[in-house]
Amino acid sequence: MSRRLAPGGTVAFVGLLVLLLALPAVSSSYFVDFVMTRTMMLGLAAATIVFLAKYGGMISLAQLLFFGIAGFMYGNAALESGARGLNLGWDPWVAVVFALGVATAVALLLGAIASRTTGIYFLMLTLVYGVIGFFFFAQVITISGPGGVTSIAPPDLFSEPVRLYYAGVVLSALAYAGFRAIGGTPFGLALQGIRDDPVRMASLGFNVPLHRTLAFTAAAFVAAVAGLLNVWWNGQIDPASVSIGPTLVLLIIAVIGGISYFEGAWLGAFVYLLANNYMRQLPLVDRIGIREDRFNTVIGVLVLVIMVLSPEGLAGIAAKAGGSLRRTGRRSPSGPSAAAGTAGERTEQPDREPARTTGTGEPSPATPTTKGTVE
Amino acid sequence: MTANLTAAAEDPHAPVLRVRSVVMRFGGLLALDGIDLDVVQGERLAILGPNGAGKTTLFNVIAGDLRPTQGSVAIKGVDCTLLPSRHRPRLGVARTYQKARSFPGLTVGDNLYLAVVGKRGRHRSLLRTATDRSWRDRAVEAAEAVWLGRQLDTLVGALSHGQKRQLELGMAVVTDPDVMLLDEPASGLSRGERERLTELLDELAVNATLLLIEHDMDVAFAVARRVVVMFDGTTIASGTPEEVQHNPLVHEIYLGTGAA
Repeated sequence: MSRRLAPGGTVAFVGLLVLLLALPAVSSSYFVDFVMTRTMMLGLAAATIVFLAKYGGMISLAQLLFFGIAGFMYGNAALESGARGLNLGWDPWVAVVFALGVATAVALLLGAIASRTTGIYFLMLTLVYGVIGFFFFAQVITISGPGGVTSIAPPDLFSEPVRLYYAGVVLSALAYAGFRAIGGTPFGLALQGIRDDPVRMASLGFNVPLHRTLAFTAAAFVAAVAGLLNVWWNGQIDPASVSIGPTLVLLIIAVIGGISYFEGAWLGAFVYLLANNYMRQLPLVDRIGIREDRFNTVIGVLVLVIMVLSPEGLAGIAAKAGGSLRRTGRRSPSGPSAAAGTAGERTEQPDREPARTTGTGEPSPATPTTKGTVE
Repeated sequence: MTANLTAAAEDPHAPVLRVRSVVMRFGGLLALDGIDLDVVQGERLAILGPNGAGKTTLFNVIAGDLRPTQGSVAIKGVDCTLLPSRHRPRLGVARTYQKARSFPGLTVGDNLYLAVVGKRGRHRSLLRTATDRSWRDRAVEAAEAVWLGRQLDTLVGALSHGQKRQLELGMAVVTDPDVMLLDEPASGLSRGERERLTELLDELAVNATLLLIEHDMDVAFAVARRVVVMFDGTTIASGTPEEVQHNPLVHEIYLGTGAA
C-alpha cells in the first residue's frame, strides 16, 4: 500500500510542485501551453481512471464522457451567441457550476446502473456510455451537433494561457493528494475491500452498489473539472473529442503511465503529449517510414514496449528503478520519451478553429482534423 | 458484550435464530428440503454432514447471501428472510467463509478495521476521527486475540493459509457479535493449527451464540454442545455430541464411511 506519502515523498511532491509552478519563467511558452497545460488536464482526467481502477477495481471508459459533458455544458451555458448550442449567456462561473452539476448528476445516474456490474461487464457498459454520449452530442443539434460548440471563452481569470497552466497544476496537485488521502479513509478502505471481495464486504455490512456509485460519481466530478480546463484551453468542443478514439487514448495514457499509480496518469499524459508534439522534429524520422499519419502506430508500439517491459507502466518502471517513485517518475520522461520520440505526430487537440495563438514561432502541432482518429 | 439491542426479540425466551421450513432450490437441484432450526442465546451448535448435504447453503440463507425459495429466517425475532446480507452485522451476526474471504490487497489491520466499520457505521466517511482511532484499537486487540498481533501491517495476500483462517475468525470476533456463523474454520489446517483454533474458539466465543459447520469431528465435538447432522438437504439427527456419535443412521451415512 502506498497510501500515505513517505516523508521523502512529501519533499519530492512539494519540490516538483515548486518546479512546475516556476516552469513558465524558464521554459518556452509553446512547451508550457501545448505540452504541460495539456499534461495537467489529460493527467487529471486519466487520474480518475486510476482512482477507480486502483481502489475500486473498476476500469472505466466513461471518464472522457464526463470530461466532454462538462465542456459541452459550459459552452452551452456561457456563450451569449454563436452558431450552435443553446447560447444561454450565463455568467461564466454560473456556467462552471452548471457544467459540473450536470456532469456529476449524469454520473450519479449512470454509476447507479454500472455499480451492479464488475470486470469486463463494467468496462463494456462504460464504453456503451461513451458511445451513447458521442451520438447524443453528434445528433442533438440544439446542444451541439456534429460541428460542436465553438468560440468558447474561459472566465476572465483564465484569459491568459499561463493562468490556465497554473490552474492545471494546482488542481492536479489537489487531486493527486486527495486521491491518495482517500485511500486511508473509511470510504477509501471500503472501496478497496469491495475491489477485493464485494460479497464479503456486503456480509460485513457495506452497501456495495452505493459505494461503487459514489466512487464513480466522485471520479466523474474530477474528470468534469479536467473537461472544463480542456474546453477553456481549446476554445471549442465537438462530439469527435468524446468519440471512441480519444476515449481509448485516455485509457492508454493511464495504462502507459501505470494504472496502479496516480503519478502515472500525469506521466503517461506527458509522454503521450511529448510524442504528439515533438516526434516529427526528430531528424530522419520520415526516412524510416514514420509519418504523421502513423502516429497511432507508434503509440501502439510504445504501449506494447512499455507493457512488455513493465505491466505497471512507466511509473512501475520508475518504481523498479529505485529511489522515490514520485521523483523518479516525474524526472524520467526524458528517458522514456526518447523511445517515444521516434514517431510522427497526431492531433489530439481538436483546435479546428484555434481561438488562440501559441505565442511562439514554433509550429503548432494541431492540424485541422478532428481527433477522433484512433482506431 | 456490546450487544446491538435495536432488534431485541419481544419474547426474551425466543430463540436468537429461528429457521422455519427453509427450502432452497437451484434449478432442478433441491439443496435444502424443509429445514427447521432453533438456536437459543449462548448455544454452541455444530452442523455436520457429508459434502453436498446443504450445510453451506443453509449458512448462506441464514447469512443473507441467498434468498430461500420457501420458508423464513428470523434473527432475534426480526424476519430476515428477504433482508440482504449487509443488514446482518447490525443484528449482531458475523460469519466466516469456508474459503477465507478477506481482502488480500489490504493489511491485516485494515481488514479487521473494515469489519468494525461495517458493523458500526461511518461507511462513507472521508475523515479519520477519534472514533476511528478507538475502532483501530479494537482491531489491534482482535489481531492479538487471534495471534496476528505482529502481522498488523502485513498484506493479507502474504499470509499463510492458517493465518488467513485466524484472520477470518478475527474479522468475526472484532465486531463483538451475538451470533457467529463459522463455516469450516478448521479446513485445511494442520493438526497443531486445529488445536490452536479449538482453543481460540473456546476463548473468544464465551458469550456468543456459535453455529459451526465442521468436517473435523475433533474440533466440532470439542467446541459444540449440540450437534445437528444434515444429509441431502434435510436434518437427520440432532442431539449432544455423544448422542449423535451413537446414532446408527449417522454412522451409516456419515461416520460409517470413515469420513471422520
